[in-house]
Amino acid sequence: MKNVFKLGAGIAMAAMLSSGSAYAQEDTITIGFLPGVVDPFYQVMELGVNAAAESLGINVVTQVPPTWGVETQTPILDAMVARGDIDYLIIAPTDKDQMVGPLQNAVDAGIKVITVDTFLGDGDYKNGPVTFPLSAIGSDNVEGGRIAARGLAEAIGGEGKVYINSTNPNVSSVEDRATGFKEVMDNEYPGIEVVGLDFNLDDMNTAVQQTAATLERVPDLAGVFGTNVFSAQGAGTAVVNAGLGGAVQVVAYDATQFAIEQLREGVVSLVLAQKPYDMGYLAVQFAAADAGGVTSLPPRVETGFAIISRDNVDDPAVARFIYQVPE
Amino acid sequence: MSPKPPAGASDSPALAPSRHTVPGRILLQIIQVWAWVFLALLILFFIVAVPLVSGSSVSFLSIRNSQNILVAITPVLLLGLGQTFVIISGGIDLSVGWVMSFASVLSALALRESFNAGLPLPLAVLAGFLAAIAGAGLIGLINGTIIARLKVPPFIVTLGMSFIVRGVALLMSENTTVIGLPRGVRDYGNESLFYLIGGEGGGLYFFTRPDVTGALLRRMDRIITYPVLLTAIVVGIAIYVLRRTKFGRHTYAIGGNREASIRAGVPVDKHVIRLYVLSAATAGIAGFLSMLRFTAGSAVIGDPLLLSSIAAVIIGGVSLFGGSGTIVGTIIGSLIIAVLTTGLVMLNVPSFWQFIVVGAVVILAVLIDQSRDAIRNRIESKR
Repeated sequence: MKNVFKLGAGIAMAAMLSSGSAYAQEDTITIGFLPGVVDPFYQVMELGVNAAAESLGINVVTQVPPTWGVETQTPILDAMVARGDIDYLIIAPTDKDQMVGPLQNAVDAGIKVITVDTFLGDGDYKNGPVTFPLSAIGSDNVEGGRIAARGLAEAIGGEGKVYINSTNPNVSSVEDRATGFKEVMDNEYPGIEVVGLDFNLDDMNTAVQQTAATLERVPDLAGVFGTNVFSAQGAGTAVVNAGLGGAVQVVAYDATQFAIEQLREGVVSLVLAQKPYDMGYLAVQFAAADAGGVTSLPPRVETGFAIISRDNVDDPAVARFIYQVPE
Repeated sequence: MSPKPPAGASDSPALAPSRHTVPGRILLQIIQVWAWVFLALLILFFIVAVPLVSGSSVSFLSIRNSQNILVAITPVLLLGLGQTFVIISGGIDLSVGWVMSFASVLSALALRESFNAGLPLPLAVLAGFLAAIAGAGLIGLINGTIIARLKVPPFIVTLGMSFIVRGVALLMSENTTVIGLPRGVRDYGNESLFYLIGGEGGGLYFFTRPDVTGALLRRMDRIITYPVLLTAIVVGIAIYVLRRTKFGRHTYAIGGNREASIRAGVPVDKHVIRLYVLSAATAGIAGFLSMLRFTAGSAVIGDPLLLSSIAAVIIGGVSLFGGSGTIVGTIIGSLIIAVLTTGLVMLNVPSFWQFIVVGAVVILAVLIDQSRDAIRNRIESKR
């Protein structure tokens, strides 16, 4: 990394000398990468960022917030802006409204912003309330919820009762997943009834307790959608302990290695993988393209999903979407 | 706050029945058991309401549901257990939730590495247990030493320590979750002493899980899972220690009147250190058990539990001013919280109502505690 930095600085100096201007050229830009929190999803995204940066000879400065939240992310963002050497910022905003102000400051300081995973405003940078970012690269959580719903519906034969266990209310990602899930169940599967939605407030113990209580309330429950890995893991534990492993299908969002382990153990039945590597890689390429004068970057890129089940988990074409984090 | 009776004489120092007038004594006794009464009414409410709301086939009082609740209280109860000792002594331990997370990570690493090094699974699980106790105990030792020897208020020390431990746990786990535990770990965290299969073709099975599938498996109830068993053993020891041993008497004495205890020759500093080691160790056991249950070490698993555990202790009648309280009270407090969570889900009511009820009960508990002192004083001044 240090060498890359030196190289970058050297090239930058050469470029300045030769062109006589301070305008950054394609191979001289510095990118700041600021994910939402330390977790496997963003670690894989970082791999994508680094891979693209290496192939393009771009310097990357990465800072990872220890906890999720505006109050943690903003000071790190401000510090990155204060460095003065960052041309492009790749960020997963931890709040679609509250992060607009801090990122506007970055834009005012001459930094161009690309959002990954999460977005600002409504994610429509052409006609929406926030237009200053170059592009929003991520998976559509509503669509993810729909895909999870179809996967679960298929697994339970298109009829029965299903339940959603989620983390917190008012967090756009998990909220959108639940919304998409409910939309599909209501519109496409008349035989399926969503019998409840509980918030475990990021506590796996609570997720187990809530799911166990729901299994008591709805003895013929057919499926559970856990809107993140921990929700699904808690739900799956309750299902297996009730002797319902395999009989009640559990869908997990995000293909962490933990989720895959639980898939192999039979605690969860389906895992929905996002493509964080693609998000990181594309974001760096977009920054380089913009620096190189490209003007037709799409304001919105959806990277899509892969569904992983016990049947295809060992298929290399699918297994590549498991979030492989370096040890 | 009215003065506490000289502590150390009894494990429930609020009562000295022989000296009271009859109506006053009855009133005091009702107040004494109000938490039991509240819990009983709560359970009664759910027994009646759940079938009404969710259909007559759904019962709050099923064997499975009672076992679910027992499993659900284990983390809060274990955190509250050491906390009970600490608060009785007049201190507080704000680090327990994070110590639990830390112990979960540490025990997962110890279990995994010792298994990979060739230890058989039961011994690897034991290694995980010892690592959890030792690691957590070390943090308690640091907490207690700074509090007792350097005279820094426990609120500050344990607050600071919770940040430190949180950082260490996140660093050690690298991405919050330690995975790759050997197969079979799950059984330690989720299987049980007894298995009951109700109805036709069923029966009661001891120690070994019956090899059943399909409908029989669906009907199989796990009775006393291993985490519940271990928690019960720890709780039993704690009750004995607090009631019957010098350690328990010293704990009440320090919380009741610190200066008097010093004059009476109680090794106060040493005792305080031991109390924080105890508090961290029970949190360590909670972390170990959650690691077994979820077959992973998690650097965030205990974070949300601190306030619930303190609430359980307060509902159970432990005075934040020290000197009084019982373990049984803390068990009741933990049960009230767990019964609320399960019951509200079974009513399909937003579980956030739980917070409102728990909050009200916490304040009620302290009000009742204070009125108890006032009533006792009035009775005694009449004589």
